Amino acid sequence: MSAVQTGEIITFFILAPLAVIGALGMVLARNAVHSALWLILTMLSLGVFYIVQAGPFIGMVQIIVYTGAIMMLFLFVLMLVGRDASDSVIETLRGQKVVGTLLGVGLAGLMATGIYQATRDYTVVGLEAANKDGNVQGLAKLIFTNYVFAFEVTSALLITAAVGAMILAHQEKSGVKAVGQVAKMRERFLPGNYPGPKPGPGVFATSNSVATPAKLPDGNPSQRSISPILPTRELTAAEKADKPTLTGGA
Amino acid sequence: MSLSAYVPIVGLFALAGAFGLFSVAAAPFIGPRRFNRAKLDAYECGIEPTPQPIGGGRFPVKFYLTAMLFIVFDIEIIFLYPWAVSFNMLGVFGFVEMVIFIITVFIAYTYVWRRGGLDWD
Amino acid sequence: MMPTLADFGKDVWWIVLIKVLAVFVFLVVMTLFTIWYERRVVARMQVRPGPNRNGPFGLLQSLADGLKLAFKEDIMPLKADKVVFFIAPVISTICAFTAFAIMPFGPIVSLFGQKTPLQLTDIPVAVLLVLACSGLGIYGIVLSGWASGSTYPLLGGLRSSAQMISYEVAMGLSIVAVFMMSGTMSTSEIVKAQAESSQTTVPDVLGGWSFTTPNWYVVLLLPSFIIYAISAVGETNRAPFDLPEAESELVGGFHTEYSSLKFALFFLAEYINMVTVSGLAVTLFFGGWRFPGFGPEHAINQGWLPVLWFTIKLLIALFIFVWLRGTLPRLRYDQFMRFGWKVLIPANLVWIVVLAGIKTSQNTDNLLWAIIPVALLLLGALFWPSKKKAVEVPMEKQVAKRPAGSYPVPPIDLEVPVSPRARRITAEREVV
Repeated sequence: MSAVQTGEIITFFILAPLAVIGALGMVLARNAVHSALWLILTMLSLGVFYIVQAGPFIGMVQIIVYTGAIMMLFLFVLMLVGRDASDSVIETLRGQKVVGTLLGVGLAGLMATGIYQATRDYTVVGLEAANKDGNVQGLAKLIFTNYVFAFEVTSALLITAAVGAMILAHQEKSGVKAVGQVAKMRERFLPGNYPGPKPGPGVFATSNSVATPAKLPDGNPSQRSISPILPTRELTAAEKADKPTLTGGA
Repeated sequence: MSLSAYVPIVGLFALAGAFGLFSVAAAPFIGPRRFNRAKLDAYECGIEPTPQPIGGGRFPVKFYLTAMLFIVFDIEIIFLYPWAVSFNMLGVFGFVEMVIFIITVFIAYTYVWRRGGLDWD
Repeated sequence: MMPTLADFGKDVWWIVLIKVLAVFVFLVVMTLFTIWYERRVVARMQVRPGPNRNGPFGLLQSLADGLKLAFKEDIMPLKADKVVFFIAPVISTICAFTAFAIMPFGPIVSLFGQKTPLQLTDIPVAVLLVLACSGLGIYGIVLSGWASGSTYPLLGGLRSSAQMISYEVAMGLSIVAVFMMSGTMSTSEIVKAQAESSQTTVPDVLGGWSFTTPNWYVVLLLPSFIIYAISAVGETNRAPFDLPEAESELVGGFHTEYSSLKFALFFLAEYINMVTVSGLAVTLFFGGWRFPGFGPEHAINQGWLPVLWFTIKLLIALFIFVWLRGTLPRLRYDQFMRFGWKVLIPANLVWIVVLAGIKTSQNTDNLLWAIIPVALLLLGALFWPSKKKAVEVPMEKQVAKRPAGSYPVPPIDLEVPVSPRARRITAEREVV
C-alpha cells in the first residue's frame, strides 16, 4: 500500500495549511487564550492526519488526550493567571526577536530538508501486516508484548505527574482542620458564647410588651432581650397579674 | 479499511458547522436592534456590574489539580482501551501487566486522596 | 442482515448525502420532541398539564419557542471577546452533531436499490469518536464562559468544565468493560455481539424452569451500566447534576450572556448531547436497535422496523433523564465532585480488575485468576483507614457533661404549655 490515496492527498492539502496557520496563529496571537485556541486547531489537524495515515486509534487518542485534556489544562492555567494575560512586547535582550525568528526558520529548514532527504526514496511496506487484525488489536499486541516495559514505566510517569501537581497546586490547610457541622454546633453552645440572635418574646413569653423579658428555655428571664434604653420601673399589680390569655379568659 | 468510512463523519461535521455558523451569523440580522447601554453590560441580576480586577480576576488553583488528574486518568483509560479490545488475545500475561499498571496508578490516586487533593470546600 | 465493520464505507455519494441529512434532521426533530416530551412528562409528575396549546398535545411548542428565539435581539456584551464569543456556540453544536455519526439505527436495508446499513458510518474506533466529541464540546462551554467577560458565566463555565472532565473519566472507564466483552470498539459490532440470547436455568430448588435473557450488556455488566448512567447525567449537565446552571447561584451559568440564536444553539447542543448519551447507552448496554427475544434473522429485526425499536429505547432512556429531574434535588458542588472522584472512579477500576480476573479464569480454566482480584480487594479493604464509630451516649449524660455556664437548655422532661391561642379556640368551640 505504498500508493497514496487521492482522499489522503486532498485531506492533506486542506489540513496542512490549517495546521501551519494554527501554529503561526499560536505564536503571533497577542491574547494567551487565543494562542491556546490556535494550538487546538493544530492539534486537531494532527489528529486527523494520523487517522488519514491508517492510524485511527492514535488519531482519536491525539484528539482526546492532547486536544481534549492537555489543552484544557492549558486553558485552565491561562484562566488561573487572569483573563487578559497578554504577552509583553518589550524585548528583554536586544535583537532577541530577530535572532529567534532566524534560528526558528533555520531549524525548520534543516528539519524539513533532513526528513525529506531521509524519506525521499523510501518505499513504505508493512502497513497491511501491521493492521491485519485491525488497528487497535495490532497496537495492543505491540504495547502489551514488545513494549511492556515502556508501558509499565508510563505508570511511574503518571505517578510523577499526579504528585507534581499535588506539590505545586495543593494548599495544605495549615493546622486548621475543616470544622464539621457537629463540632460547630458544640462550639456554639460552649460557655461564654452567646449561641444565637437575641431572644425575642418567644413561645415561653406571656406578654408581647417590649419591657417583658423573654424567657430562656429553662424558664429564667433573659436580660438581653430587653433594650437597655428602656427605663427601669416597677410594674403595677395589674400589670404583674397574668394575662387573661394565660388564665383562660377568667 | 479505506478512508471512505470517514467521509460521512466529515459530511455531518460540515453540515453541523454550516448550520451553526449560519445561525450565529444570521442572529444579528433577524432580530431587532434597540440600543440600550444597560443591555451591553455584564448581567449581574440588575445591579451595577462589579468592576473586574485587572487581569479579569483569578481562579482557585484547585482547577489545575483537577485538570492534571484528568490527564492522568485519561492516559490510563487510553491504555485500557486497546487492552480491553484484545483482552482474549493477550491472555494471562495481559491481565497481570494491566493489574500492575492499575495498581501503580492507584498509588498516585491514593496519595492525592490522602493528602486531601480530592476534597472541595 | 446485521452489518459489520466491513459493510461501511461502500456507499455511493448520494446515499451518504441522504444519510447525513437524515441524521441531521433526526437530531433536530429529536431535540424539538425531547423538549416537549420533557416538559410534558415533568408537568405530569408535578400534577399540571404542561404545554398543550400549540398544535396537537402542544407538540409544536418547542418549534414555536425556537422560532421565537430567532426573532429576539442578539446581544453582544461590551466586555466580550468578540471572536470567541461568536465561535463558542458553533463549537458546541458541531461536537454535539458529529458524535451521533456512528449511532446504529438498524440492519442493512435496500435504499433506492442500494444495499446500505441503517447507520451513517462505522469506524474501528467509533466509540472513541463520541468521547472525543464530548471532550471537545467542553471547549464550547468553557470558552463561552470566558468570552462573556462577566462573572456568572465565567464561574459557570469553569464549574461545568471541571464537572465534565471529572465525569468523562468515569464514563470512559465504564465502557472499558463493554470493549472487554465485545472485543471491538465499533458500534455495529457491539450491537452484533449482543445479538445472541442465553438460556438461564433456575436451580431445582426454585422450580427448575428456564428462561432466555437477551445477551445485553446491561445484564452482564450491570455495574458498568450504573456507572455509565450516572456519569452520563453528570456529563450532560442535567439535574440533579445541573450545577453549572444552578439558577439560584449562577443565573444561567455559562450562557447567561447569550441570547437569540446563539443561546438556541447551546440549548440544541445540550439536548443533542442528551440524545447521544442515551443512544450510546442503548447501543452499548441495551442491544442497540434489536428487538429482544427474537433472532437476528426474524422479520421483526429486519428492514426499517428496528429504527422504531431504537427510537423507543431512546425515549425510555430520555424518560429516565426527565424522571431524575422531576425527582431529585440538586447536589452540592463538593458532594458532587467527591462522588465522581472518590466513588465512581475507584469502584470502576475495581470492577474492571474483577471482571478481567473472572474472564481470565474462564479462558484458562483456572480459578486462581479469579481469586487474585478478590484477594487484592480484601487486602485493600484490610488496609483501608477505618473510621472509629462514635459511642452513643444517652441524652441525660450528654446534658450532665455540659460545662458550667453553658447556654441553658430546657429540661428533658419539659412539658410545653399549651399555646394560649389554642386554648381560646377550644373555648370558643365549646360555647358554640
